Amino acid sequence: RCNSSVNLKIPNFLHLTPPAIKKHCAALKQFCTKWPEELDTDEKCEVHFPIEVQISDYISAGPSIRNPKSRVVTLNIRLSSLNLDDHARKKLIWLVGHRYCKQTDILTIKTDRCPLRKQNYDYTFYLLTVLYHESWKVEPWEASKSREDMEIYKWDGSPSEATLNEIMVNIRQAEHKPAPTVDELRTSEEIKSYSESVEMLKNVGETDQNMHNYKEAVLRLFRLQHAA
Amino acid sequence: MHTSAACSKHFAARVRVSKGTKAVTYEEFNPPHQIAHRKGWLSQHTSNLDGEEGAAKRTLEDVFIRRFMYGTFHGCLATPPVIKRRANILIICAIIIRRIPPFKYHFLATYTETLLSYLYKCPVKLELQTVEHKPVYKYI
Repeated sequence: RCNSSVNLKIPNFLHLTPPAIKKHCAALKQFCTKWPEELDTDEKCEVHFPIEVQISDYISAGPSIRNPKSRVVTLNIRLSSLNLDDHARKKLIWLVGHRYCKQTDILTIKTDRCPLRKQNYDYTFYLLTVLYHESWKVEPWEASKSREDMEIYKWDGSPSEATLNEIMVNIRQAEHKPAPTVDELRTSEEIKSYSESVEMLKNVGETDQNMHNYKEAVLRLFRLQHAA
Repeated sequence: MHTSAACSKHFAARVRVSKGTKAVTYEEFNPPHQIAHRKGWLSQHTSNLDGEEGAAKRTLEDVFIRRFMYGTFHGCLATPPVIKRRANILIICAIIIRRIPPFKYHFLATYTETLLSYLYKCPVKLELQTVEHKPVYKYI
């Protein structure tokens, strides 16, 4: 019986079955070159080809092959493969902002502002070049970098250190003992462990371990025994 | 301004039950809420997927194609034509009733394919199936 629902409406994806795809690959193989044998691990690939560019093509059912989404170009590069000194690295990370991932050390530049893919590709590489050169330059106004602009918290010279030194002096005064010298404060074990715990809290964050270490350091500093 | 009470009834694409003499096909019998349950789609393309473009264009093309088919194969269409798009190609599948001699169908099919391919600038394929009578599913 000629039921249109049964005969006509079923979309078939037979053109996407594994045997059909195999035939396509076999036909395309003659145009491909062999993968170089030396590049057998991901690490080797990254050493020789540190930059990864992602582009996408789109196909849909219709008379036009154009899709505006295909103009997007994404570039990934690990900052360790770039030649940057400490100042350049910090400046580059500050310049790119959210495009840098601290966990993986990968900088991602995504461009789509030009209408054509080639233009976006060229713009991406232009951006990378400019970022690299700009991060190496030292501008005169960079000298006015203050504590608030620092990427990592350093205990030396911080308000925390100043406050602690004051407290130590006051403790000695209350005990009617002479004030501690600068050397004594710098080499004291308790102060060192306290400074390390404060740095961990500020740089890494508030984890159970960090909070515990801070508590222990403070108790040790003021020579108080913690409840068993 | 209403002068009578509103009648909350659905009328879209439904054949109302009568004395048992009305012949309906499977397509006509199942109302629209049965699409994706007991019915399929009459028009298949990728534009209605998430993030795809061109839905309105494809719909407009479909409307024209259906009117064109209805007029060209006048009285011969047993079911609404199923329009499929596969990449560039436009495939129109229809079940037609043998009302006119076969050589006329050959002409009409080729005429449709050529005209529509010039109109839509893409290959158009017509897949016809002929039946003696309209395939009746039920008499309601």
